[in-house]
Amino acid sequence: MMPELLDVRNLSVRFPVGRKGTGWGQTSYLTAVDDISFTVRKGETLAIVGESGSGKTTAALAIAQLVAGETSGEVVLDGQDIMPAGRDQLRAMRRKVQVIFQDPYSSLNPRKRAEEIVREPLDNLTNKPAREKREIVDRLFQAVGLRPEQKRLFPHQFSGGQRQRIGIARALSTQPEVIICDEPVSALDVAVQAQILNLLRRLQSEFGLTYIFISHDLGVVQHMCDSVAVMYMGKIVEHADRLALFNNPQHPYTAALLSAVPSIDPTLRDHSKRILIPGDPPDPLNLPAGCRFVSRCPVAQLHCRELVPELTGNGTEHLTACHLVDADLVSPMQAVREAE
Amino acid sequence: MSDETLHIPVEKARSPLAEAWEMFRQNHLAMVGLAILILIVLGAIFGPLIYPTDPYEMVWAPFSPPGQEGFLLGTDYLGRDILSQLLNGARVTLIIGLAAAFVTVAIGITVGALAGFYGGAIEEALMRFTEFFQVLPTLLFSMVIVSLFGASLPMITFAIGVVSWTAVARITRAEFLRIREMDYVMASRASGAPGMRLMFTVILPNSLPPIIVQSALMVGSAILFEAGLSFLGLTDPNIVSWGQIIGSNRQYILEAGYTVTIPGLAIFVTVLAISLVGDGLNDALNPKLRKR
Repeated sequence: MMPELLDVRNLSVRFPVGRKGTGWGQTSYLTAVDDISFTVRKGETLAIVGESGSGKTTAALAIAQLVAGETSGEVVLDGQDIMPAGRDQLRAMRRKVQVIFQDPYSSLNPRKRAEEIVREPLDNLTNKPAREKREIVDRLFQAVGLRPEQKRLFPHQFSGGQRQRIGIARALSTQPEVIICDEPVSALDVAVQAQILNLLRRLQSEFGLTYIFISHDLGVVQHMCDSVAVMYMGKIVEHADRLALFNNPQHPYTAALLSAVPSIDPTLRDHSKRILIPGDPPDPLNLPAGCRFVSRCPVAQLHCRELVPELTGNGTEHLTACHLVDADLVSPMQAVREAE
Repeated sequence: MSDETLHIPVEKARSPLAEAWEMFRQNHLAMVGLAILILIVLGAIFGPLIYPTDPYEMVWAPFSPPGQEGFLLGTDYLGRDILSQLLNGARVTLIIGLAAAFVTVAIGITVGALAGFYGGAIEEALMRFTEFFQVLPTLLFSMVIVSLFGASLPMITFAIGVVSWTAVARITRAEFLRIREMDYVMASRASGAPGMRLMFTVILPNSLPPIIVQSALMVGSAILFEAGLSFLGLTDPNIVSWGQIIGSNRQYILEAGYTVTIPGLAIFVTVLAISLVGDGLNDALNPKLRKR
């Protein structure tokens, strides 16, 4: 088994918010990411899934130090804490951690040529001579499947898929170890999605990349990832390897998410009932005292309202933050399914 | 199929500016405005060389109407040739317009960019400062400056610039606030661009289009402003500008209306041409109107 490359410990991100009714000098905070920890092994892909507002993107961007809020915690990359970065440390960190953005239409500077966009990290983060940079850009264009004569074009002259290829080439240019993919295909057509996902997988094996893959599309996650972390309201509620999570989801929220994935197999479709979770997520400025899912959980007990569940595996690798999950790894949702 | 028969058309690189020019060219009114503007600029540069009559010399009897005795546009109350005054005044008027617009844009972009980029207390302070200038009556304030510090050309330019930069500052700030949140700014930050580089090489070029339009219109309004000040007598009487021609002849507006009308028409046509060009720029640089 490969060693752990990235170790995120107690990562929190909070944003100060001005709200009517708070007095002078009082700031209330919106905690978008609340004390999450996870590890990623070298060459593997960790998916972070969750609904909008769950904090998945904020958590990933906080690792790359791209969020405006107050970030605390440790991010250890290859044995080195990369969080308290000074100017030089920040440069070194940016060389190692790169980002592929969600929307290829807004993530490329419209006034720069494709080659300038791909070269930007090299210009800012390395001191390589111009000729070497040109060679790297040429190689990257080839690696992501763009033609060399397209180097001089401007972003608006490319299609969405091609634009995302430029974004990928840019992320690869400094030979990073970790690439944060922030929903890299959700803005693309389905046919193009598959191409880009296959490209990402090929590049991963070619360059030994480690991905943190943000997504809300469980189909994509199943195709791409080695392990999955499910986030809800800023907390990781379940973290396990792909097969364990998809075959035996423990947390009620994960079970509900997975049951919402449409299936084309009619027997499966009839067999698996969709689990509906009523209501809306709680107000992030006024979170419940106990488990954050309690207001929507179909199996919530009284003590779920008071005690915050810890993310624990009960001795296994399958981590869940739910009071009702025990070491036998039988989901509390099992009872719901059988009752129906 | 072999590789030779596979023909992929090579697309030509077209910069956003080249596309904007394409759009601009298709706008007939804007092209008319541009043509008029070019004529006026050429007249200002070469007119006095082709028509060397001294604009400050008395060359004929005062109040000689246009078209008589070889003086195409007649003479003013001191018998000076109005055509020559017009050609020489064009230089001064255009220079004041451009210089005042430059002052406006320089102050406006600096204030707006700092406010929009840094936000927080800096933004708060700069925008209150901007609002302070916004609520001052502009003509009155510039009159105060000019009458206090003397009606020299640089002072007039400065006075016009100081009272009219607020619009540019607000537009710049608004654009910075919008562009700042774009993914490509975050991408540049992820690529290691330091703050200053982000501000000047990423955000500023992308927020330029509305600023360019505003500055073009600023040239027009600066010319009008200078005319207004001159009409009130707040100008250097030894330097001929269009506004100054109007101002010095204003007592004779009923007896010899052409002495005021002709430079007035020149101002009108110039400002109109600038407005047409500004409008065309607005359409050409606005990506929402650009066809795919």
